[in-house]
Amino acid sequence: MAETKETSKSGRGGFSLRQKEARLAWILVSPTALIVFGLVLFPAIFSIWISFHDVGLQNLGNVFQADFVGLQNYRQVVTDFAFKYRGPQDWGAAINSVVFSFGSTVLTLLLGLIAALVLNQRFPARGAARAIFLFPYVAPIVSVAFVWKWILDPKPSGVLNDILLSVGVIQEPVSYLATRGLAMVLVVIFEAWRYFPFAMLMILARLQAIDETLYEVATVAGASIWQKFRYVTLPGLRYVLGSIFLLRLMWTFNKFDDIWLLTGGGYGTNVLPVLTYQFSFQSYDFGKGAANAMILLLILVVCLAAYVGIMMRGTEEV
Amino acid sequence: MANTTRDENLTIIGHLARWINWPRFLLAITLFFFLTGILFPFYWMASSSFKTFQEIGGTEPVYVPSGLRLEAYRELFVPSHPRFQEFGRNILNTAKVSVPTAIIAVILSTMGAYAIARFRFKGKEALLNSILVIYLFPGILLIIPIFAMLSRVANQLGFSVQDNLGVLVFTYLAQTLPVALYMLANYFRTVPGEIEEAALIDGCSRLEVIWRVTLPLSVPALVSVAIYTFMIAWNEFLYAFIFLNDSDMFTMPIKINAIYNSPSFRPNVVMAASTVMTIPVVVLFLSLERFLEEGLTAGGVKG
Repeated sequence: MAETKETSKSGRGGFSLRQKEARLAWILVSPTALIVFGLVLFPAIFSIWISFHDVGLQNLGNVFQADFVGLQNYRQVVTDFAFKYRGPQDWGAAINSVVFSFGSTVLTLLLGLIAALVLNQRFPARGAARAIFLFPYVAPIVSVAFVWKWILDPKPSGVLNDILLSVGVIQEPVSYLATRGLAMVLVVIFEAWRYFPFAMLMILARLQAIDETLYEVATVAGASIWQKFRYVTLPGLRYVLGSIFLLRLMWTFNKFDDIWLLTGGGYGTNVLPVLTYQFSFQSYDFGKGAANAMILLLILVVCLAAYVGIMMRGTEEV
Repeated sequence: MANTTRDENLTIIGHLARWINWPRFLLAITLFFFLTGILFPFYWMASSSFKTFQEIGGTEPVYVPSGLRLEAYRELFVPSHPRFQEFGRNILNTAKVSVPTAIIAVILSTMGAYAIARFRFKGKEALLNSILVIYLFPGILLIIPIFAMLSRVANQLGFSVQDNLGVLVFTYLAQTLPVALYMLANYFRTVPGEIEEAALIDGCSRLEVIWRVTLPLSVPALVSVAIYTFMIAWNEFLYAFIFLNDSDMFTMPIKINAIYNSPSFRPNVVMAASTVMTIPVVVLFLSLERFLEEGLTAGGVKG
């Protein structure tokens, strides 16, 4: 309201000036809006359409004439041997995705919380430590994935094998990324290693906003360090932890690069995004790929709704 | 009292033992754990890049290379090398994608963010919210329709989507503009409106005001948006992986992937290329850390 008054006061023309400004505003916003809507919103809707049609390499130049096939793509996805659960030895991409995303999100949060608590203390060279803590998150994914792969090299000369052999933890070299189960554990650890700085930054910002006097009161009341953490810090972090959890979950669920580069989706680490890629760009069945992606979209929308809900409750309470 | 003072002077261990307590010990251990876990992979990348093929292919790992051997770098950059990788061309391709992305993103998001920060217009909130929600859509969801859509458009207009660096620039803009817009709009709101109004009254047009008043005051924010978008485009893997087939057009990530998966796998060359690709990003980041953190928490690398 206050803004309205200001505009009409400063603009002698009043109404027409505001109209002119609105027009200028739209001109200024439109290139960004066009690119973002054209390359994100339209494709998102278009992929729903594709998932109900038979789209392959043969009709890619002429997609709109593709045959409508109803739910056939979806049927093919859920019955695909790579998708469905086939016993404890082979969980299939659907279960793998759930395990991978929840596992890495929880571990990311945990590491991020510990890192934030550490960086919230006073110690020499804290600024440098804080910058170093962000390295995994800023470095190119290709570089860090291949370094990890190289550290985990299955040969006896692989550095992790060498260290663990000499300490006596293992008796013979291990093919870390080519062992079912272990490969999944390692991609989860990699994911947490790469993304904990994101959680750390957000938690750190919130930590610094917690009222100091709460801690002073707790100290006077004779609270231990653990009690202060449990009853002052943790409640203060509730909403930020919730929103990081959902954001990370949503993004990890849709993560392609990391697993693709580390294991190529082999050895029990195939997840839905990798499967989407394989359907579309290895077997060139875009309809099936899009149907698979729709499952991702559904999960995304559910997380997003929960996220918006938390954000709104969070702003009410803070 | 005199006694304890002497103790302190006598032994460092005694001093340390009195200084240390459980919280400090725990802090030191955790810090050590994190720093090793983070820095070792980076050390291993850089050090492996300076090893010879003998050092890297031996039966035991070499923890410290015998010297700064440039064998791997020669394979990347020196044309006379028998397995010359023409990595310079890949660096150039990456620059051809990431520099225009950064420049265009700064220009477009400046325009959009200014409108959002300063003007009131119908549908502003809806526009802003939908752009932010859209930003959360991951690349893998969009790659199929974008591929199909652009193939169709390209067919019509007579250009190729494959091996077209311009197409990549467009897709990277779609990924980075929402955050850029958000960061800049937040910044513009902190620039006092009175300064602009004064200039308006002096007879400047809106565009002149933006150019002469707002932008000079916003240099830090503009720089961080440029660096942020540059880094995203520099690191991007999935879209480049799908759209580039001709090795002459490969950006660095795709080339490194190709070297890694080539039949004659030479880790020192992969690590050298990775080091070359990582250094600019880390240097840029360190020099602008303070400005960039906002962008990182706003979603940063997205994923």
